[in-house]
Amino acid sequence: MEIQVFFFGVLAEATKTAFKHYRGVTSFEELKMRIGDDFPEISHYNYRIAVNNELVYEDPVLKEGDEVAYMPPFAGG
Amino acid sequence: MSYKILVNGPITRKIMSSILASLAKNTDAGGHSVFIGQVRADIRGAKRVRAIEYSAYEKMAETEAGKIKESILAEFNDVKSVEILHSVGIVMVGETSLFVLVSAGHRHHAIDACSRVVEMIKATLPVWKKEIFEDNSAMWKENSLD
Repeated sequence: MEIQVFFFGVLAEATKTAFKHYRGVTSFEELKMRIGDDFPEISHYNYRIAVNNELVYEDPVLKEGDEVAYMPPFAGG
Repeated sequence: MSYKILVNGPITRKIMSSILASLAKNTDAGGHSVFIGQVRADIRGAKRVRAIEYSAYEKMAETEAGKIKESILAEFNDVKSVEILHSVGIVMVGETSLFVLVSAGHRHHAIDACSRVVEMIKATLPVWKKEIFEDNSAMWKENSLD
């Protein structure tokens, strides 16, 4: 399946990438491994992951067209 | 939601005035509590902050702001309305980056709910900030929830 991955804040700067399409994704676990291989620098940062605007606490079941966001700690206000 | 919470650039006096001017329509409210957050000229070592650049996961920020409002209206049955505006982009020192207004039947509910909204924004709104110093260097900053 095809998944859209977004990076925000310091992660977008560190990866020099705000957005990347992943094709042929088989699972969330596999996607995370591919992202880790493509952007090893993200392992130096704290982040949380959202799928379709919702924070995930366990690996979710992805479906075609889902949006996955890598988000550093929030800093609003 | 009827409007977007994210504003490009600072939340101007004009924007805030127009919201304040509409308050008289809320005749069931006995009090309005406002929080105005502005960019502070923090000193980091030898450097002084001149602006903050905010970025956001816009879709999620709108969703989370809606959840904050629903949660406040459910928790404080005296609260009549909750307005939230947050900047994205560059906001200079002294300019406003956050505006919260809570209208309630009675003052304690307005004040308590407004404070709660600000804390929820700090904890749950997917917004990030980079401090920009007078020498144009920059540093990402995280919220402390103390």
